[in-house]
Parts: sequence; structure tokens; C-alpha cells
Amino acid sequence: MSNSLKYKKAFIEGLGVDDKIITDKLKYNDIPEWDSIGHMTLMSNLEEAFSITLETDDIVDFSSFKKGMDILGKYKISF
Amino acid sequence: MEQDQILKDIKNFSKDVRKIILRMSFKAGSASAHVGGALSMTDIIAVLFKYKMKNLNKDKERDRFILSKGHACLAYYSALNLIGKISNKELDTFEKDNSNLAGHPVKNIKLGIDFSNGSLGMGLSLGIGLSISSKKKKENFNVYVVLGDGECNEGSVWEAAMSAPKFKLNNLNVIIDKNNFQQTGKNFDIMNLNDLSNKWMSFGWDVEEIDGHDIVKLKNYFDKKKDSEKPKLLVANTIKGKGFSFTENNNDWHHAIVTEKLYNEAMKEIK
Amino acid sequence: MEVNSRNIKLWSSIGPRAAFGLSTLELVKKYNDLMVLTCDVSTSAGLDRFRKQYPDNYIDLGIAEQNMIGVAAGLASEKFKVITTTFAPFQVMRCCEQIKVNLGYMKEKITMVGLASGLVLGNLGYTHCCVEDIGILRSIPNIKIISPSDSLETIKAIEASLNDEESCYIRLTGGTNNPIINKDDYKFEIGKSIVLEKGEDILFISSGAILSECLEASNQLRKKNINCSVVNMHTIKPIDESIINKYSAKAKLVVTVEEHNIIGGLGSAVSEVLSKKKNSPPLLVLGIGDKYSKSGSYKFLKEINRLTSEKIIEDVQKKINE
Repeated sequence: MSNSLKYKKAFIEGLGVDDKIITDKLKYNDIPEWDSIGHMTLMSNLEEAFSITLETDDIVDFSSFKKGMDILGKYKISF
Repeated sequence: MEQDQILKDIKNFSKDVRKIILRMSFKAGSASAHVGGALSMTDIIAVLFKYKMKNLNKDKERDRFILSKGHACLAYYSALNLIGKISNKELDTFEKDNSNLAGHPVKNIKLGIDFSNGSLGMGLSLGIGLSISSKKKKENFNVYVVLGDGECNEGSVWEAAMSAPKFKLNNLNVIIDKNNFQQTGKNFDIMNLNDLSNKWMSFGWDVEEIDGHDIVKLKNYFDKKKDSEKPKLLVANTIKGKGFSFTENNNDWHHAIVTEKLYNEAMKEIK
Repeated sequence: MEVNSRNIKLWSSIGPRAAFGLSTLELVKKYNDLMVLTCDVSTSAGLDRFRKQYPDNYIDLGIAEQNMIGVAAGLASEKFKVITTTFAPFQVMRCCEQIKVNLGYMKEKITMVGLASGLVLGNLGYTHCCVEDIGILRSIPNIKIISPSDSLETIKAIEASLNDEESCYIRLTGGTNNPIINKDDYKFEIGKSIVLEKGEDILFISSGAILSECLEASNQLRKKNINCSVVNMHTIKPIDESIINKYSAKAKLVVTVEEHNIIGGLGSAVSEVLSKKKNSPPLLVLGIGDKYSKSGSYKFLKEINRLTSEKIIEDVQKKINE
């Protein structure tokens, strides 16, 4: 599975939403499912999907679908 | 039933409650009793137990009563005796060792005592929980809570007062037995409540103020149908110790001993 | 809620408060007469989703803890399952008398969840820390006291308390990234402590998030050939006397460790058990030494109160060498 697909799948499963909700314009708190608890579930899903452990600062900075992709770049994940 | 007969029945109930209060106090002997505050609320409890409260012998749909000013329990036990919940024999155990009837009510569902009270300021919160439950379960019972005026010194009363209107508890009825005294003196001297009615009104309650010994006015108040969603407060202006010449407006009778002599005098007066 | 390693990791990272909040979303589906009452702390208790999704099961009484307990008791008397929650000092102390009269005396059954007990909110000062709650509640009859060691245990304790016949106080300690004590699913029973490690020399008894410091201390001591038993005494009242008796029988020293005053809490409860025995080993009670220190981070407060694994080891060795 490509990284892009893995990434989107982590969002769909982590936030428990339909795939049409996941667009590259999606930001934290845009939808009720991406609240603070949804965020932690999402982070946990991404860690598992990409076999990484996110740093706290990165978890805090991860404010949107797009920003997340930049952050994952730090962990050598390219899209 | 004819209105006159209803009023007569309530007045007789009230008279009987007063007799029982004095008898129980006398029998309690040196344990002494909170006589004054029980006598001031006697007419209120008569209207409630003899007339207004419904389904008292049922389990789920019955109206609930909370004596937040728990020290006035003599009036409560007397009323429960008159409606058949507490036997005469049980009444005689008041304040005796191992009794079910302590100087403040102790929860005993069999005897009709739903809650333990006595630490002032807690009854209204319980009443709010009950009223919310009644609405949620669509059981449609009403809740009646009697508070003392001195009791309104407690901050917890105001926490509760502030919250009830939020929940639109129009099945919640509070009566403040405003006899103007607390344990060691007049409310005015110890902690002035100032305009009690306006305070509650500003919190969102439907407030009325009447003579707490006028059975006709009390009955008319409880007969009124109100459309509002607000919880109701009746500020009942009463006389501490009402009913006997030696107890009326005499704060020594907040908690005192009824001697045989006084008991006999009282029974003569109330004939 | 499926207990698997992924969820255990998630619950640990979000911390016990958010784990509690998440669990209520499942509990209300199982028990639809569940009512959750708070004092303006929905977001602090992970209850924001619950508040939005189940508004009929949620009541916010505002910053009025005495009223919250009374209203909860009224609901409990009509057989609702009731959870109340706010920060631990306010949950236990502001409305202490209401707890005594309603839960203790009248036995109206309520689960009280004390948020952020112990030292985790140390930056905010001791008004927002709680090192007195166990001591205070132990003296009120008819209330069980549970101090879960991690987020998974928090979730189990809350459901167990709803099915218990008595009121329970559940003391949440630790914060986000709460160390995982229970790595797999297990059977949780109120009143039955859990033996995590066995060793003949020292018996550690602890509960709450600070248990992780005990486990680390035990690991380090083992390297010095000092073998320790470690017991998770998650239920402080009623305390598991049989385990204390069994594991203290051969130990050279019993050590209790708590994020609580050394007066009145777990250490005191254990001493009450040991003092009934004819022969018992010495007892070292580690905790907050009956004083309020300066404020600071959780880590800082654990250091100055000697509740890190290093300080625990120092104090244990000092006691052994006495």
C-alpha cells in the first residue's frame, strides 16, 4: 500500500469517519471526530501504520492533514 | 368533598400534630426536643400530608417530602403517625436508646422516612435530584422540601437554589418556614437574610409569601395551577412555637424539656 | 471497549482522565440509566464527547460540589446509576459532609471519580493537588476506595464500581503517557490486590500511578540481590488483608509507597493490618511527609517528596541498614 493510502486509512480508522471526509483541507477540530481524543487515536494509528514513535512536540504541532504530511517527512516518510 | 369539610379536616390534623409534638417531647424527658421549629411548621405539614400530597401509600407515584430542617422532625413523625406509617408504639420510642426515631430523621423507608436529614442545607439538593428523576422516568410525582429560614445561611442552599431553575423543575415545591429565629436568637441579629423572597425570585423561582398559619390561604396556594416551568417557593411567615402560649415566639423553645406540668397546661389550652 | 495492546497503548497516552471519559461512552450504551454529573469539568474529564452525544445522561451543576452530591444522591435514591466527577480536592473535600450524609449514612450509591489526584497538577499549586483524599474518606463508613495504577485499570475500576453494591471513590493519578502497569487484559476485582512480582526480601505495597516507581525500584534492587514482592493494592478500602498477611510473613521489611500524606492513607491502612499480627516485619511508609512543599512539575514534586525510584531505593537501603 502506498504511503498516501496508508496515511489516509489511518485518518479514516483513527477518526472513525467516511473516506470522503478526509480531504487535504481537513484541520484539527474541523469535525467533531477530530477532537483531542480523536487526535490521540489518530496519532496512535499513524505510529502503528508507519512503525514510528511521534515526539510530543510533533503531536502538538500536527494541526491538519497537510501539516501532518510535512511532520511525517521528519520521520523519513515521503508521499 | 365539601370545601368546609376539607378545611375542617386539615385544621383537626394540625391540632392533632400539635398534641403529638407535645406528647412526644414530654415523653422524651431530659433528652429534650426541638419544639419551637416543629410547631412553626405544623400547619404547613398539615396541608401537605392531609390534603396536597398524593399517593402517600403507594411506592413509585407517591409525592415525596423532604424535611431539610431536620430538627423539626417531631412535626414530621406526627404527620407520619396520623397517616398510618408510624405506629403509636413507635412514637413512644422517640429519642430512646436504639430507636428508629432519633432527634433528626434517619432514613427508614418502611416508616415513610425517605432520607436522613439534620445537617442543614442539604435537603434541597436531594429534592432537585428527585424532581429530575421524576421527569426523566415520567413518573409525575411532585417533591416538597421544607427549609428553615436560618438554614438559608448555608451556602449549599444557594447552590441548589441557583440550579433548580436550570432544569425547569415545575414539580419542585419548596416551603421556607420563616419563623425569624435560629438556634441562639433572631435571624436579623445573627445573620440577616434581608429580602429572602426577592433573592429566590432573582434566581428564577416562582415566589409567593403568605401567612404560614392560615390554613385557607395555604390550601388556596397549593390549589393554584401554574403554567410556568419555574420551581416554586412559598415563603411561609410563621411564629416559632405557634400553638401554645408558653412556646410562642419564645426562642428558649428551640430545644427544651417539656415537663409534666407544662404538658398538662398545653393539653388544656389545645382542647 | 476491546482490551488489546493497541488500545492499552492509546489509553496510556491519553491518560486516565481521557480514558475515563472514553469509557463512559461505552458504559452508557450498556447501562442506559447511567447519569454523569460534573462541576464544570467536562473537558478536564474527557467528557466533552459524552456531554455532546448523551445530553440526557449528563448534568453539569456548575462549580457547586455540595449541590452535585445532593442531586446525585436524589437520583441514586431513584435507582439511577450515578457517576460524579471533578478534581479530587473538590470532589472529596469541598462536599465532604454531603458525602458522609448521603453516601456514608444514607448509603445512596454513587461512584465518585476524583480527577488528577496526587501531585500531577503540581504546577498549579497544592490547591489543585490532593494528598488527603484517602485519609479523609477512609473514616467514612460504607465507601470503597480504589486507586487504579494505569489507564486500563481506571476503565476496569469504573465499570466494577457501577456493579458494586456500595459507593466507590476512584482516585485518578498520573497524566498523559501514564506508564502501563497492566500490559495485557486481566481480571479486576474490587478488594483483590494483584501480586506483580514475588521476592522474599522486601514487600512493596503501592497503588496508583506511583506504582511504576515501585516497580522500577524493585528492578534496580534485584540487581543488587535484594528481591522484592510488589503488590498493586488498587483497593485501599476494603484492604486485602490476606495478601498483606501472606507476603509480609517472610519479608524482612514492608514498604508502602503512595502519592498521599503518610498520615491516613495506604501506609496507615497497611499498618493497621500489620499491627494486628503477633509478629510483623518493620514498616516503612513512603509518601508526602505531612507538609505542603513549593509547587512545580509532577516530576519535580516526586523528586522533592522522595517518590522517584531512585529516592525510594535510597530510603529502603537506609532502613535496611538501620
